[in-house]
Amino acid sequence: MNRRMLVLGLAAALIFPAAGAAQTYLLVVGGIGGEPTYRERFQVWCSALVSAARDQLGIADDRIVYLAEDPERDPRIDDRSTKANIEAAFADLAQRAEPSGRLVVVLVGHGSTTGNVPRFNLPGPDMQAEDFAAQLSQFATQEIVVVNLASASGDWVGALSGERRVIVTATRSAAERHETVFGGYFVAALTSEDADTDKDGRISLLEAFEYARREVARVYQRQNRLLTEHALLDDDGDGSGAHEPDPATGDGARARTWFLTEADVTAAQPETDDSVLATLYGDRARLEGALAELRARKDSMDAAAYEAELERLLLELARTNRSIREREARIPG
Amino acid sequence: MTAAARAVTVGIVLGLAVVAPSARGQDVVAARAAFAAGQYDAAIRTLRGSESGDAVRLLVRVLAEVGRYDDAIDAARHYEGRAPGSPDVANVLGEVLLATGDLNGAEGAFDRAASDGASDSLDARYNLAALYLMTGRVDRARPGFDEFIDVYNRGGRLSSEELTAVASAVWDLSVLDWRLAEDALRAYDEAIAADPNNLEAQVRVGNLFLDKYQGTEALETFEAILAKNSRHPGALLGLAHQRRFAGSPEAMGLVDRALETNPGLVSALVLRGILFVELEQLDRAEEDVSRALAVNPNALDALTLRAGVRFLRGEGAGFEDARQRVFAINPRHAGFYTALAELSVRNRLYEEAVEFAGQAVRLDSLSWSGLQLLGINQLRTGAMDEGRANLERAFAGNPYDAWTKNTLDLLDTLQTYDVSRSQRFTFAIDGKESEVLAPYFAEIAEEAYDRMATRYGYRPEPPVRVEVFPDHQDFSVRTVGLAGLGALGVSFGPVVAMDSPSAREIGEFHWAATLWHEIAHTFHLGLTEHRVPRWFTEGLAVYEERRARSGWGDRVSPGFLRAFLEERLHTVSELNNGFLRPSFPEQLIYSYYQASLVCDLIAQDHGADVLTAILRGYRDGEATGEIFERVLGMDLAAFDARFEQYVRTRFARPLEALESAGRAAGGAAHSAADLRRLAGERPDDFVVQLALGQALVAEGRFELAIDPLRNAKALFPQYAGHGSPYALLAQAYRETGAPEQAAVELRALTALNAGDYRALLELAELEDQLGNRQAAADALDRAMYVYPMELEPHRRLAELAEEAGNWEIAVRERHAVLALDPVNRADALYHLARASLGAGRLDEARRYVLWSLEIAPSFEAAQDLLLEIHDARANR
Repeated sequence: MNRRMLVLGLAAALIFPAAGAAQTYLLVVGGIGGEPTYRERFQVWCSALVSAARDQLGIADDRIVYLAEDPERDPRIDDRSTKANIEAAFADLAQRAEPSGRLVVVLVGHGSTTGNVPRFNLPGPDMQAEDFAAQLSQFATQEIVVVNLASASGDWVGALSGERRVIVTATRSAAERHETVFGGYFVAALTSEDADTDKDGRISLLEAFEYARREVARVYQRQNRLLTEHALLDDDGDGSGAHEPDPATGDGARARTWFLTEADVTAAQPETDDSVLATLYGDRARLEGALAELRARKDSMDAAAYEAELERLLLELARTNRSIREREARIPG
Repeated sequence: MTAAARAVTVGIVLGLAVVAPSARGQDVVAARAAFAAGQYDAAIRTLRGSESGDAVRLLVRVLAEVGRYDDAIDAARHYEGRAPGSPDVANVLGEVLLATGDLNGAEGAFDRAASDGASDSLDARYNLAALYLMTGRVDRARPGFDEFIDVYNRGGRLSSEELTAVASAVWDLSVLDWRLAEDALRAYDEAIAADPNNLEAQVRVGNLFLDKYQGTEALETFEAILAKNSRHPGALLGLAHQRRFAGSPEAMGLVDRALETNPGLVSALVLRGILFVELEQLDRAEEDVSRALAVNPNALDALTLRAGVRFLRGEGAGFEDARQRVFAINPRHAGFYTALAELSVRNRLYEEAVEFAGQAVRLDSLSWSGLQLLGINQLRTGAMDEGRANLERAFAGNPYDAWTKNTLDLLDTLQTYDVSRSQRFTFAIDGKESEVLAPYFAEIAEEAYDRMATRYGYRPEPPVRVEVFPDHQDFSVRTVGLAGLGALGVSFGPVVAMDSPSAREIGEFHWAATLWHEIAHTFHLGLTEHRVPRWFTEGLAVYEERRARSGWGDRVSPGFLRAFLEERLHTVSELNNGFLRPSFPEQLIYSYYQASLVCDLIAQDHGADVLTAILRGYRDGEATGEIFERVLGMDLAAFDARFEQYVRTRFARPLEALESAGRAAGGAAHSAADLRRLAGERPDDFVVQLALGQALVAEGRFELAIDPLRNAKALFPQYAGHGSPYALLAQAYRETGAPEQAAVELRALTALNAGDYRALLELAELEDQLGNRQAAADALDRAMYVYPMELEPHRRLAELAEEAGNWEIAVRERHAVLALDPVNRADALYHLARASLGAGRLDEARRYVLWSLEIAPSFEAAQDLLLEIHDARANR
């Protein structure tokens, strides 16, 4: 599948939004860079994220708040990333977000720890993880994602973990103080075809996390360096993140169904007035369900029997999908 | 001894004590200090004419330490003549008699000293037990050693010398229980604490550390002794052993220094002989053996080395004669066979090492070193299970043996490796890498086998086992038992071990050429029955690399040609020294290249088949000189002259360009302006032209850099190493918008140096940009033989192969992508399925596409492919 088809996939999802589609609010915070290299790096990551959110993930401009160290560097930057401005942005978003809305907070910058207190370094006073926790408490009903791409960010999992929350950090502890590369890969993953590992045309948070985690490992291996950043993902609210999340056993289940696209990703079946198409959609859903059930039984089945049944269902699914495409192509509009 | 005799003896001792003036006591103290400081002549002068037992005992020891054995014996005899029946000097006399081969005399002297109540009777008892052990009377030796444990445990006050005897006895007993080695060390420590000038005890501590593979501690111990006495022969010899153990060329110099102090030190002569054997200089080894036996005709180590030299020369009768002499002295001397096993290993005779080590173990079931040698060499010859079992037995007996322990650890690791097979090879590769590497390794190994089997008319017995280690230290342990080996690969004949590409920095070495090189050794070793000298097999293996593919194998460098000009290279007749005892850091690398040039020259002048004829000559036991005269029709001196002429002709232009280079040329200290001036003055100076080009490239003045770089290239067109004119010109051309010319330079560079991974990737990119898809694919394909562990080059090569309809390559590359753990596994499986379909492998295609869809059921392209494969299978 090429990139054009991936975008089409996203577009298709947007064409058929389900009734319960939730609106996504994005707060991007670029911290203080210090050295020119890091200023440049943080700026590139933040800008890429904002561009992807607006242009490819379908998040409207007015629901994106972008704060950074130097507002002169990009006209899309709303304000300087001071503690006061961040708090103001949270307050504004809390006012605007619908009860079923979704909040995504991404922090790009340096992290540190002083006296066991994890911090995110800002122009002026830093913000602590606890400060962010207090801000997030304004979003009592919304789904929340916090992605802290800073060094020494591991302890943020414990501070921010909770129900309806996905927390991603670039490191597993405060001890991992070296600059990270995870952020670059995570941002890239949000729009990368390679990250779409289940080939459904959308990239879940889990897919983005996995993509970035593995690319980080690859780059360290390639450079023959010890891995000094182990990203974590926590989405079961237990305050403990996983470096290799497994949706079947713990972290990862929520992130797997969390997409940054505006469409309601949980919609099982598009709506249509065409009865043939409706039947085909129904068949597809049935086959997908049967496949999921078959895969769940894999370990208890004879290998040959499993493979034969897998092939039978997949062939049927492939034929059904082909029929759906042909039928959709015939329906105007 | 009767009571009366005892009384007489005591009387004599007392009498001597009475007659000896107190000043003589002071002299002994002074002489002892001089002895400890290595002022041997001063000590001897002080002690000469002394009449006390203490003084004469010391005098005998000093004279013996500098090799004046006859004088030492005379001094002792003289004393005994004056004090008949006195046991005072019997022990030291025994030591000298033992050192000179009079075993019966030594035994009698030790027995006298031990029985007649000499002040050093405990030392004599130890010497006696040690002599029993040395002569194979184990049943008498061990009880003798056992007594020392009682002596120690009784808790009486023991002198430093007595504690040394206790420690040595306990060390000897540690063959039965390895824990006793710790007690031995403790007793030595007490001996040294009792007398810090007891250097003999300190030497034994150093040797104990050596025995237990604690090289650093041994080094420190010997250096501490030498700080007190820089001429101490025992410490110099111990340090020589330590340096040899560490693979340092300093060993020979240290032995020489030990022999300066004591020219008759048999153990030093034997070690030097061994070092000569390792240099494959058997004549010189034999000379040292003769010197040693002239001092001590019953020296077991010298007789053993004589047997070893004769074995290596293929002199069966001479070997048997030496062997019989050894066993006439000690019918249970397992050390004879372990020494021969070690010599065999040094000469790459691994099967023979197994045989000798096996005999050692049969002779003495407590020969832990025999078991170790047996196990290690069984592993080298591919007998993995037997090797492991013997190493486990060796480890149980001597867990201090680092080689045994490391190798057992390594075997644990090896057990986790994937094992795959091709027609003539078995590959043991780490599971994380085997899927990527195994197909490539099999392809290269099989090709090498076929080509060399045709060339040499010899076929190594399959399977040849190839072990590939992602951790260089594991490879090092496999090869030499310890970490720290610098080599990339090794061939034991039926077993090849080498670094994985991932064991080194990206692109640091050409794994395929290395594998080819080691397989060449497997042919050479097999064809010559392991008799080929190191220099020739290395040269021929590099020569084989160059024949394998353009750009493989070592290349000429400015450093090599400079060494040639400065006459720092060995002559062909001495070339082995360049491998076995390089005298400057680069000499080893230069020796490989030089030896390969020798093969080039022989092939050029006499035909490539002659190289095989030379191997057959080695197999038949001929020496290099004999072979060259018979096969090439010239002696080594004539060949040396021919070789010199060959190098001067082949590299005439670069030699001239380097010869004209002044010392001031190049270097960071020069500004570009300086270099421009120098380049103008010296248009034929390679170094200046290249340095100017480098400086201009570094300054980003690419246009200006082109001319001097082209000059440099014209002066030394064969040079394609790091920072070559080709690489810099390619950069300059790219930067100035001339990709075609950049590609020309990179094509030339990689044709000369196929190990430049980055250049190959860059060339592939350029060829792609220029629309030369096949050339891009070729460059990527060549890059895989340097470093196949990066995903993107495989992916691109797969795409290019698919575009060209080259489905077999596409399948290989898609397999590699999958094996490199791509993030998007469903996608990788889909592409592998598609390539498999292209290659007509319908069943594989079906399996892969099912796996892809199992991960991603809604993957549309894979669904369509599944339908396509299904239809194709239905219609076949």
